[in-house]
Amino acid sequence: MKDPTRDKWDRASRTYDLITWADERRYGAAKARLFSRMRGRCLMLATGTGNDFCNFPPGLVVSSIDVSRGMLECAKPRAREYPGVLSLLQMDAHRMAFRDAAFDTIVTVSTFCSVPDPVRGLRELYRVLKRDGRLLVFEHVRSRLGPIAMMQDLLTPISRRFGPDLNRDTMGNLARAGFRLVREENVYLDIVKVAEAFRA
Amino acid sequence: MSKQERIFALGEYAAGGVTALVTATATHAVVAPGWDMALAMMVGGFLGIAAHLAIAMVAGPLLGMFPVMASGSLIGSYGGMIFGMRDSMQAASWVRVWIVSALFGLVVVAGVRLYDRALRSRQLADPVFEDIT
Repeated sequence: MKDPTRDKWDRASRTYDLITWADERRYGAAKARLFSRMRGRCLMLATGTGNDFCNFPPGLVVSSIDVSRGMLECAKPRAREYPGVLSLLQMDAHRMAFRDAAFDTIVTVSTFCSVPDPVRGLRELYRVLKRDGRLLVFEHVRSRLGPIAMMQDLLTPISRRFGPDLNRDTMGNLARAGFRLVREENVYLDIVKVAEAFRA
Repeated sequence: MSKQERIFALGEYAAGGVTALVTATATHAVVAPGWDMALAMMVGGFLGIAAHLAIAMVAGPLLGMFPVMASGSLIGSYGGMIFGMRDSMQAASWVRVWIVSALFGLVVVAGVRLYDRALRSRQLADPVFEDIT
């Protein structure tokens, strides 16, 4: 069955590492610091080409999902190199095949800029996260600086055709999905952020 | 600042300077003295956004999408409008156009970098990721 989101990311998988080359170098340390909070059974959303696996602490049990088969194919070699148990699964964030309260930690990296219905996707995370589990978020969001936010709004109809939306209110969506935000940190301006949330 | 951070910083200034130069050159070539100022501003802004998008496609993967986009979008849109307004009011020489636009680009990049530093340093007093629950 045709899925525009899956098809878009299958196409993007061919050039993803090239386009994100500098971003990986700029934000790798912030991601590693965020991921150091991973504990127990973990879920990663939007695996991409697996270029975040090198920032995971060793020895974890991680299920890593992505809607795109192309992305998961690119991620396979990196998953094999991870010093722990890392399984790759093709799955849609809106409808995950995991039981309720299955995970101690969930990590998302530039995920909810792309999930078509972000609040529904986050509610699905809420379902599969244990009551005392933690959600670790690395996302880019709409700036609160007027001129930059306006440009993000203007450019989103273009960026959406090839990749993510630039103007999502992901921190607000976390609250709308029932999460309680306990930390929020700017990584670049107020656009690239890391955050930590718990089930409210 | 690490070597990598210095290289990225230099790249941001270079990308900002080039975006401003291309925007000012295109605007100066199109807008002539005597144009209606509002029209000149719209044309300049449009040309600036187009220049920013073209340059961001090349510079984004090398320097990071958001650092290029944040300063480039300001330079392209607002710089383009300012350059259009200037060109509708006076016949500036090409040399002056290039010097002023390059300066404008560098100042905007410096401002964005300062703002970024201010946003991040404000959080250093607040230890990151310590449970408050």
